[in-house]
Amino acid sequence: MRRIALPAAIVALIVLAALILPALLPWSHDAIDWDHVRAPAGSPGHLLGTDELGRDRLARLAVASRITLLVALAAALVSMIVGIAWGMVAGWAGGRVDEAMMRIVDVLYALPFMFIVIVLMVVFGRSILLVFVGIGLVEWLTMARIVRGQVMTLRQRPFVLAAQASGAPVRVILWRHILPNIAGVALAYLTLTLPGIIMIESFLSFLGLGVQEPLTSLGILVKEGADDMDVAPMGLLVPGGVMVTLLVCLTLIGERLRDRFA
Amino acid sequence: MRALILRRLFTAIPTLLLVLLASFALMRFAPGGPFDGERPLAPETRAALEAAYGLNLPMGEQFALFLRRTLTGDFGPSLVYRDFTVTQLIADSLPVSLTLGGLAILLALVLGLAAGTLAALRPGSWADETLMLGATLVTALPSFVTGPLLALVFGLWLGLLPVGGLGDSLISAPQFWVMPVIALALPVAGAIAKLARAGLAAALAQEHIRTARARGLSTGAIVLRHALRPALVPVVSYLGPAAAGLLTGAVVIETVFALPGLGRYFVQGALNRDYPLIMAVILLYAALIIAFNLLADLIYGWLDPRSRA
Amino acid sequence: MSLYRLESLSVAIGGRVLVRDVSLEIAPGECVALAGASGSGKSLTSLSPFGLSAGRIGGSAVLDGKELAGLDEAALRAVRRDTVGFVFQQPLTALTPHLTSAQHLAECAMQAGGPRPDRAALGDMLDAVGLADPLTKLKRYPHQLSGGERQRLMIACAIAHGPRLLIADEPVSALDAHLRGEIMALLTRLRRETGMGLLLVSHDLASLEHHADRVLVMQEGHVVEAGAAQMIAHAPQHAYSQALWAATPNLKSALPDDLPQPGAALVEARGLTVRFPGSGLFAKPMTAVDGVDLMVRAGEAVALIGGSGSGKSTIGRGIAGLGPVSAGTVLWRGEPLSAKRTRDQRRLIQPVFQDPLASLDPRWRVSDIIAEPLVHLRPDLTSWGRAGLVKKALQLVDLDGALADRLPTALSGGQAQRVAIARALVAEPEMLVLDEATSALDPLVGAQIVALLKRLQRDQGIAMLVITHDLALAAQFCHRALVLDAGRIVEQGSIADLVNHPQAAMTQRLVAAS
Repeated sequence: MRRIALPAAIVALIVLAALILPALLPWSHDAIDWDHVRAPAGSPGHLLGTDELGRDRLARLAVASRITLLVALAAALVSMIVGIAWGMVAGWAGGRVDEAMMRIVDVLYALPFMFIVIVLMVVFGRSILLVFVGIGLVEWLTMARIVRGQVMTLRQRPFVLAAQASGAPVRVILWRHILPNIAGVALAYLTLTLPGIIMIESFLSFLGLGVQEPLTSLGILVKEGADDMDVAPMGLLVPGGVMVTLLVCLTLIGERLRDRFA
Repeated sequence: MRALILRRLFTAIPTLLLVLLASFALMRFAPGGPFDGERPLAPETRAALEAAYGLNLPMGEQFALFLRRTLTGDFGPSLVYRDFTVTQLIADSLPVSLTLGGLAILLALVLGLAAGTLAALRPGSWADETLMLGATLVTALPSFVTGPLLALVFGLWLGLLPVGGLGDSLISAPQFWVMPVIALALPVAGAIAKLARAGLAAALAQEHIRTARARGLSTGAIVLRHALRPALVPVVSYLGPAAAGLLTGAVVIETVFALPGLGRYFVQGALNRDYPLIMAVILLYAALIIAFNLLADLIYGWLDPRSRA
Repeated sequence: MSLYRLESLSVAIGGRVLVRDVSLEIAPGECVALAGASGSGKSLTSLSPFGLSAGRIGGSAVLDGKELAGLDEAALRAVRRDTVGFVFQQPLTALTPHLTSAQHLAECAMQAGGPRPDRAALGDMLDAVGLADPLTKLKRYPHQLSGGERQRLMIACAIAHGPRLLIADEPVSALDAHLRGEIMALLTRLRRETGMGLLLVSHDLASLEHHADRVLVMQEGHVVEAGAAQMIAHAPQHAYSQALWAATPNLKSALPDDLPQPGAALVEARGLTVRFPGSGLFAKPMTAVDGVDLMVRAGEAVALIGGSGSGKSTIGRGIAGLGPVSAGTVLWRGEPLSAKRTRDQRRLIQPVFQDPLASLDPRWRVSDIIAEPLVHLRPDLTSWGRAGLVKKALQLVDLDGALADRLPTALSGGQAQRVAIARALVAEPEMLVLDEATSALDPLVGAQIVALLKRLQRDQGIAMLVITHDLALAAQFCHRALVLDAGRIVEQGSIADLVNHPQAAMTQRLVAAS
């Protein structure tokens, strides 16, 4: 746990700041302070300054982190539930059912998904819900493969056979013997899914296809910062820094959890 | 081996068809079309344009037409870049993207394998810990953050490298490629380093390594002859997904550094609903990913004869 | 003059002394064996002087006049390369999976500076270790060889550079019983022909009598008894050697004559056939069990004996309702059992598996594990009623009630197997299917489990289907045995008949191996 504590604390800090800061700040993320356009960091009232439209950078950063984290968590949970269910059914059923289910996963895996998601965004308009759906479509595949592999090994384990001999029905075996034994691995991969999802969401937002104004996300802030970096490098460095910190910490937690359970 | 290739093809054909059908359906049944500009077109003009591009035919025929053309490599004219055929656009931009991707994967392999091997040979050492932390760090670095950051530091602040664009060629103007390739390669290099480290450590812990040590072989001989091949298995299985990741990353990098590659055309095409262009690019990407996976499987069979069923 | 001599050898790992004061001497052409249960330090003793364990040695180890203690890794490497050969327990994992037989042999022949052997020379090397059809085998990868062939290849590799000393660490214990004798005989022939010394590590006292000159019995890191192999085999002096000897089942001890009388037919399988789909798209299905008939009477113990891959476990699972059955029927007191067993049918037959730790869910407490069959098979019970029966089951298998709150990882192998047996017994079945229930355990612990099974047989009158590769184990408490080869029954009869007049080739090999 010691090696997880530090990155976990940093993630917790970012989450906390994203939740609390918007309520504490006098400026909302899209309010324009006409008197202070492009205020430098440390200006009175604007700790991180304002952007080229006079919006408070700190407020925007907090709201952006909140949206990014929310999207990531929701999409990760969806992909985890779908992936675990799919993997457990395929792994337990075996035979033709497994063959068919995994072939579907193979086919989906070979799709250039990013591009299809981009097309989806373009075609159906740019809603946050669609960002979820698009990301969920990509991310459950790995989880399904991992869970299926685990279930295939577990179902041959004598303790599962013994449970069958004990007269335990399949749903009880899956729920009480299989699920607890794959929970650790699933949790580790869930943590590793989060940075992947944050990257996809930010990537889409960066291209202008993800989260839309007036909402904002870290990807949008990075994009705005990159466009304006020759004038105001802080606009790129700060949101970029928060995002990289978040990604690094989540990856570290996920890897260390995985090393423990797998 | 033949069975493996056959099985891959069994997956590849439905995959490609699915890609085509999905993107075709999405584009066609979605609201909005390529001629929805700022100013509504006169009905006659619109009808003439649609007839010219075959958009007035029944859907089934449009798809059949598209399939027929695809098989002959003719994707028709671009709806946005109206003076060019899609095939021309791709022929112009694909070399840029392939050079970018190829150089990036080469760099990633060199960096990743070197770091991973070094770390695995001294497990738990200071070098191991540092290298692996660095690997995690660069894996978590999205290219759309590293790209602009590199451009900011080396382009704007230090003025060492051009911020974007493309010189005459790779040979005559290599400085244009340095930052895009590094930004694209870093996350892949990190992932390869971690896989190589884990793979080599696992391979070195296997029993046949003890047998090799019992024969009095040197460390170098043990690593090269007995451990490296099994150690590369996870790296090779990662090459398929890595190729996909590179292609995705390339879209951003090409946008950030204003490189005239396939990714940039794709984004432009998607934003402007340029159906033929988008479908051609998606098809190309799908084929590339499938080819990479097949290649990975073939290498896999060489690395581990047990996997040749 | 001696070839290899250990004097007051000790081995320590991280400051803990795991082996102390071992002395032995091997002359050219001689075989000295280290015997003992796992964890007794015999492998450490054999490997540490050559730098092949994590241990640091103290005392003296002299090979061919050269002191090994204090040598650095480079010097030890040269010793291993030039003078010693090693054979390990698991030939499948001890050979490099991506190198062919020829590549293995060539590397070994050249390790001490020999010339690159040609194809004929490589074939001769395989021929010398008794591998049939050596020229074809040269192109094979380890996974394409059988277990016995792999071990012969490993031996060929170990002697390819002409070592003066061969160290064989449990060379036969991963092999099927009938192969063990052949491989041991090969080692004996090779050392007599070449005059190399052999240091043999084994837990199987019975086989040492014929294949070793002297034996050292080790317990907890030191030698408790040493002497001529014949002496130790027939008249062990030390209590531990006696226990180890007694725990090694062999057919020379008298068969038990106090087995309970069997009753009416309990379970009967007719034409039992199991096919598995082949791997690959167009592969033919593989027939694992082919038309097997068998019957177990009430209170009777029937052994199902065969090598690995003979289909014996598949039959056991089919009868217990835990595995696929492609054709044939299973009857219980004359009534067919459905493919999907009902609750009452489940209760009748309970399994016990080989690996005790793997058969207990690592996340469940012992009391919950034992109570599981009651939850599903006896829904009439209250939680109090269940707790009472769990306590009784623990007593039945001689386990302390305090273990009930533990997780399986906090149990020893023997305790875990007792828990597995308690779980099998708690719902009061009429028959147990024991799938190699003692073979993953230490010989001493295994003997205790056998004693427990004998008591259950006598006191509870419970019927047993005993799946094993070991005829000698079956002889201790089984009424009859069926010998299985490649999915078919090749011979059956009382244990005494099988032992004294084996007919099928498979049975003869099993008897010879015991």
